[in-house]
Amino acid sequence: MKKRLGIISLFVILFIAFIAVWSYSYQIGLEEAYIPLEDDNSGIKVIPSESGVFERSQFALDYAEMPIDEAHQRSLKTYYNNRAYHGAPPSIPHPVANERSLGGNTCLQCHQNGGFVEKFDAYAPVTPHPEMVNCRQCHVAQKSNTLFKPANLVKVNAPEVGDNNALMGSPPMIPHQIQMRENCLSCHAGPAAPKEIRVTHPERVNCRQCHVPTDKPVSEIKAFTRTNSN
Amino acid sequence: MQNTLSNSVLSSRRDFLKKMAAAAAMTAAATMFPGIIFAAEQEKNIPNAANLDWKKGPCRFCGVGCGILVGVENGKAVAVKGDPNSSVNKGLLCVKGYHQTMCIQAKDRLTHALVKKNGTYVKTPINEALDLVASKMKETIESHGKDAVAMYTSGQSTIPEGYIASKLMKGAIGTNNLDCNARLCMASAVTGFLTTFGADEPMGCYEDIDHADYFITWGNNMAEMHPVLFSRMLEQKSRRGAKIIDFATRTTRSSTASDRSILFEPQTDLAVANAICYEIVNNGWVDKYFVENHCNFSKGLTNIGYGLEDNFSFTDKPEKIDFAAYKEFLEDYTPEKVAKYSRVSVKDIKYLAAIYGDPNKKVVSYWCMGMNQHTRGTWINNLVYNIHLLTGKISKPGNGPFSLTGQPSACGTAREVGTFTHKLPKGVVTNEENRKLAAKIWKVPVERIPSKPTYHATEMFRAVDRGDIKFIWTQATNPLVSLPKTSRYRPAMQKDSCFVVVSDVFPTPTSDVADVILPASWHIEKSGLYGNSERRTQYWDKMVEGPGETTPDAWMFIEVARRMGYGDLFPYSKENHVEEIFNEYRQFHEGAKHGMAPLEVLKKESGAIWPYVDGKSTQWRFNEEFDPACKKGSGFDFYGKPDGRAVIWQRPYEPAPEVPDKEYPFWLDTGRVIEHWHTGSMTRRIPVLNQAMPHAYVEFHPDDAKALEIRNGELIKVTSRRGSCVLPASINERGLPTKGQVFVPFFDENMMINDVTLDAFCPISKEPDFKKCAVKVEKA
Repeated sequence: MKKRLGIISLFVILFIAFIAVWSYSYQIGLEEAYIPLEDDNSGIKVIPSESGVFERSQFALDYAEMPIDEAHQRSLKTYYNNRAYHGAPPSIPHPVANERSLGGNTCLQCHQNGGFVEKFDAYAPVTPHPEMVNCRQCHVAQKSNTLFKPANLVKVNAPEVGDNNALMGSPPMIPHQIQMRENCLSCHAGPAAPKEIRVTHPERVNCRQCHVPTDKPVSEIKAFTRTNSN
Repeated sequence: MQNTLSNSVLSSRRDFLKKMAAAAAMTAAATMFPGIIFAAEQEKNIPNAANLDWKKGPCRFCGVGCGILVGVENGKAVAVKGDPNSSVNKGLLCVKGYHQTMCIQAKDRLTHALVKKNGTYVKTPINEALDLVASKMKETIESHGKDAVAMYTSGQSTIPEGYIASKLMKGAIGTNNLDCNARLCMASAVTGFLTTFGADEPMGCYEDIDHADYFITWGNNMAEMHPVLFSRMLEQKSRRGAKIIDFATRTTRSSTASDRSILFEPQTDLAVANAICYEIVNNGWVDKYFVENHCNFSKGLTNIGYGLEDNFSFTDKPEKIDFAAYKEFLEDYTPEKVAKYSRVSVKDIKYLAAIYGDPNKKVVSYWCMGMNQHTRGTWINNLVYNIHLLTGKISKPGNGPFSLTGQPSACGTAREVGTFTHKLPKGVVTNEENRKLAAKIWKVPVERIPSKPTYHATEMFRAVDRGDIKFIWTQATNPLVSLPKTSRYRPAMQKDSCFVVVSDVFPTPTSDVADVILPASWHIEKSGLYGNSERRTQYWDKMVEGPGETTPDAWMFIEVARRMGYGDLFPYSKENHVEEIFNEYRQFHEGAKHGMAPLEVLKKESGAIWPYVDGKSTQWRFNEEFDPACKKGSGFDFYGKPDGRAVIWQRPYEPAPEVPDKEYPFWLDTGRVIEHWHTGSMTRRIPVLNQAMPHAYVEFHPDDAKALEIRNGELIKVTSRRGSCVLPASINERGLPTKGQVFVPFFDENMMINDVTLDAFCPISKEPDFKKCAVKVEKA
């Protein structure tokens, strides 16, 4: 009887230890999945709609000196073709390595910093928001070109190059939403940038000194009116 | 006469499309952006700019003073680009600079004089309106005395405009009732320079950026407020590894670009600066030779008040002390003691001190409104100079304190011409020699120039409220948006006791209370000169015709002066008055200490830095190597002071006049955004800029927002003891105030945050503190 009690208590202890270890590791797992919105302990605080402005500026000089690989350039046409509409998340135009992964490191291997990928004979575009690791929440694969049912989709005209200036010759405005795209250099510099929108002066880094966004969402505020007009 | 705005936008759009079709344009883009080569794909839609006439000038907006080239086609300004020959910006501009000419065709441009008759504004020929202004002014002087009329001008007035205003008020009429909006932005910098060096304006220049190893910005969001200079710093950062340290009360775009961002509790910059000096002194980092040979130590009065009551007056009593006394004073400012109330860690204070203290590192300190709009503005300016003087890091390429300005001619006009109540074009009214010189050049009896200063900006509007001032004329500024506590001064200006004349380009809340509105020419519709932060004087020629009866401000003064019977003092010609006035003004500054470049040079070059001696700009003053005004063999000569020595001031920490408490638990900080400039009367009429930043907002720290359950965009009422203002909340957007603080940009005349601010000012400089008062917030 004593022996049996001993064995039972041993199993009880083992079971409790198992529960403790299991819930501890479960908690750790939860913590990993949590992406902090605010980084308080580093010297620089985060400003989500602005934080990425200077993100890749350490590569700016490299970008400026990079030779252009004419044979493998992307164009604005292929860039837009890979999106459902202007501003939509691009789809994934290649087979995905790990179908069960939500993205993260699988995608970031190539899309965090870019570079030439032999297999696809192309430069990997750089993501402007590498901190958002659930890539496939927004980016879908393209596995077929056929439609389930045809539809009458109206395609919004995407902005073009060269007619986007407020004054003749003034710096072009930013014709797209800024949120998650604040880091200009990731799309507008480097070998994967579409040739029409590749910046000629990446070393300037403080892009929004000269380029104004036109896409600012406006809060519900009545228009600017004089109360006492002449 | 005018197109409507939408028409002009449409027609320019049509032109644009036409040009696009016509454009084969291979060279066009290259001429627009010097040094930048465009790929064929990128420029295929860019119109050909080959038939534009490019005219040189300085930018209309901030104090950086970038050189611009305005493209003129058929008498209209159609394009703007940076002037590649300007050493300030080397061809680069910012969002405001590139689009500046777009506002001048705004539909509501003031094109004719308007006179208020029975409560409505009646379009009046400008000559009649000027008759009325002159007769009102004369009448007021006759029945109430000279000191019943006042003039409030601007750091946006050109040099000739400021000069004529000063000559009219001080020389012709004989009253010191002249002050300007630079009192709200630069006055503490001026008194800081005068108390420490005896001579106004920075000793260094922008070229310091190319030499410095560290840039330390004090309460200064340069990425948005001085973007072109910030870009020059970023360039040095990426090419040479120079470091940017952001010391501020709010996390901004500048913080994200800097190598280190250090946040402090409002007002404690005084203590931190002293703690840095403590570390420098106690670690043996003092440049002993420099301090022994070129510096004195002094202390002034303490507990000096905040100017909250009318007719407040204060005069400092400087007293010489020795190094031992100064060292003892610093004992109160050990990093450990200061860390407790400044919320800056001991480590960070020591880090800052170590940068300043390292003899092998070149350091430039930059600041603007954060230090100037401060109830102890003069003190904090003195304290930062102390740091540079103790370490000998001053007046050398890449080493120096640099006070930035906010307005295009805050230096050139407000400070050099002296459109302040106490100033003359050279020196101050209290000095007999200075009065004599002014009387000689102006050809007036010296007794006419009164020796006692009267009203500084805040007191001037208090005097309007009290009924002491019966006539006020404002030009090129918008006090009823930019003054603190407008909740008092708006009703004051509406009183019948005061006749209000407003000269401006666009209608503003100030012109709304005017009895006469005079239509002013815009920047490029007249010739003029501006002086920027680095003592650079820049000239421009009239580029386009102004609409309707718009007239340059200087010419309106001259016309009124003539109507008042002072014609013999103002013998200028309409076509050439700018040149004639500048040549007269130059006489004031003759000599090696402040000589100004002749007009022929300014017409040819993109500005010249004074002292301009023997055909050369002086880039670093007070250093014998660069400055010919220094005594031979002195090494360094702070010749503003009689003994050639700069003063290291003992200035303590004193709290702000109003601090958050139970009822009003938040600090309120106000400021600017990159898109808008001053009160937005110009930039909000530029469609691109208005779209990018359509209205003001109130910024919260995310923790505060969470505790108060405030969502982004929700309307919030910000209330102080003086007034309230309703604005949408902004959380985690442009900037991030520290916990317990809210921030509001002041450009929006629909959301007047200055109804809420406090009109406390620095007793020495009389500059109000727009950065600190206590408020409560609630959902509107």
